Amino acid sequence: MTSFMPQKRYYRQRAHSNPMAHHEFNYPVCPEEMDWSELYPDFFTGSSSKNGTSQVEFADIGCGYGGLLVELSTLFPDKLILGMEIRVKVSDYVQDRIKSLRESEPGSYQNIACIRSNAMKYLPNFFSKGQLSKIVGYGLVYTNTDVEEVHLWMVKHFTEHPLFTRVTDQELDGDVIVSRLGTCTEEGKKVQRNGGKNFLAVFRRIEDPNFGQEN
Amino acid sequence: MSASVGFCSRWFISTCDRWLVAVDSKQDREPFVFDCSTAEKKPKNPSTDGDEGGAEETRSDRILAFAVSPCGNLVALTDDSKRLILFRCEASSWRCISVRFVVRRCTSLAFSQAEDQLLAADKSGDVYSFSVLNPDQDGELKMGHLSMVLAVTLSLDDRFIITSDRDEKIRVSCLRSPYNIQSFCLGHKQFISALLVPPGHSQRLVSGSGDGTLRLWEFESGRHLQSVDLRDLMDPEKTDNDNEKEKRCGVRGHRCGVRGHCVDHLYSVFTGVLSVLRVSLVQFFSLDQDQLSPHSRLTPPHQPLDVTFDPEGRLWVLMDSDHSPLQIYTHRCGSWQCDTDSPDLTRVSAAFRIHWDKLDASVRTASRFDHLYVVNYDNVSEYMKKKQQRLDQQSQKRNLDQKRRPDAKKMKTPTANS
Repeated sequence: MTSFMPQKRYYRQRAHSNPMAHHEFNYPVCPEEMDWSELYPDFFTGSSSKNGTSQVEFADIGCGYGGLLVELSTLFPDKLILGMEIRVKVSDYVQDRIKSLRESEPGSYQNIACIRSNAMKYLPNFFSKGQLSKIVGYGLVYTNTDVEEVHLWMVKHFTEHPLFTRVTDQELDGDVIVSRLGTCTEEGKKVQRNGGKNFLAVFRRIEDPNFGQEN
Repeated sequence: MSASVGFCSRWFISTCDRWLVAVDSKQDREPFVFDCSTAEKKPKNPSTDGDEGGAEETRSDRILAFAVSPCGNLVALTDDSKRLILFRCEASSWRCISVRFVVRRCTSLAFSQAEDQLLAADKSGDVYSFSVLNPDQDGELKMGHLSMVLAVTLSLDDRFIITSDRDEKIRVSCLRSPYNIQSFCLGHKQFISALLVPPGHSQRLVSGSGDGTLRLWEFESGRHLQSVDLRDLMDPEKTDNDNEKEKRCGVRGHRCGVRGHCVDHLYSVFTGVLSVLRVSLVQFFSLDQDQLSPHSRLTPPHQPLDVTFDPEGRLWVLMDSDHSPLQIYTHRCGSWQCDTDSPDLTRVSAAFRIHWDKLDASVRTASRFDHLYVVNYDNVSEYMKKKQQRLDQQSQKRNLDQKRRPDAKKMKTPTANS
């Protein structure tokens, strides 16, 4: 069965969805019980030459229409990347898009997938401790927005959090993700068209400075 | 919260509605009675209370939770008027040490082993630490969940704080640095209303949930060791109908009894709702390294409301009865036996009944569980139906077009950038 590329106009949904509402989501009881083979069939079947014990290492929280996922797929072909999107229509679009891309280019785009979920509530259900930390020693969190207040809010909270430290612009020189963050997503392109500014901030997870300091 | 009981050294404690009543179980003396409505009210702060609206918030002075310190000389309680009250029991008298205020109504309290801090978990999911050494100091925000926290406890060495919420999660965090999550204990399918780290089993956690199970964990790693379905323990006669068995069950609480120097038994009061009947049972479990095993069951003469162990390891049961609300059970000759003639029971019952009789029967048994069940709203099916209709229509249209113009060009193949 050939899938045609989904047309965005059938999948439009407003930007905000209440993460505190009790919508029905599918999520595993715990990370050990998650069946990733449905999302990454090539990586989790016996017939594949790829390592069956692969793990998702990158997560795009609020992946929208999947622009970043598609871009990262070819940049990191051996990494499993998961997009999480709370909106019904939008996550459905990404799933349809990935399905269609996989069919049109066999062997490609097998390492990306999207699930409809509430990352705020269910991140610990999907990912075990340290799973997303394999990128550069400890994990990196990339934040990007065109709204300055949101940027300042995120910077404030990550900076105040003892387990994160800001990665300087110097250290980010040459980072492949940074250069694409502002341009490959729907939102990013819209900001470019409107002549808006992109605010980027990257943070690295560090060791607990207070650990072991009991009494 | 319905009526609750506990022990503070030799004092039998009970809370119901807005009263705390403490009765000396070993000596005849005047009980200590505290009425929360007599305590000072939260001062109105125009800058922070502005968002509560112009109308006076309706509040009662009902006690929502209480806790006894490990050494048994401090008691803390929190009420519907957002008070947090600390009492000290020394020599034979009780003293109210401080009345502080919490930001939001609390659900659960726990003292640290060192008795230097009192942890209070609230309805918005936040956990605050209140100093015991400086009893007038304001609470400090320590950590939070995204949904209501229902139970809070600490590891026996005060290294970890363990919290459980309405969203099926148990979180283990470092007490000194609560932003540092040690692990999650994931497995329950409904809210988790009871947590216990049993004395003598410092690596273990027992949890009770609205999904009707008791679970055993190695909490530092989050490893799930065992699940006991309480519905399996219910009497077959009462559950001849499978539908009824599916009805909701919540765990009221865990208590641990100590006899001599070794820990004996856990109990679990299990409240099940079967059609219109409310069934409660007091079930004992024994715990060895990795296994919780059902031990024996009590059938008190009246509906049990709560239970507690006293320092001698006897189990006191509070029941929904006007005339004989209290009963003691002692472990003798391998089983738990009713101790109706105990002088301690007589003494406590006499003093307790004076206050128990004043209460309306309805305040004894308010159910805390029904409103905690999460009802999910399906926002996917409708969309999927419409999508399928759209796809079917498009498919029909394409078939018609092809029949009319079989030589027409096919659609472009999709690329990554479209």
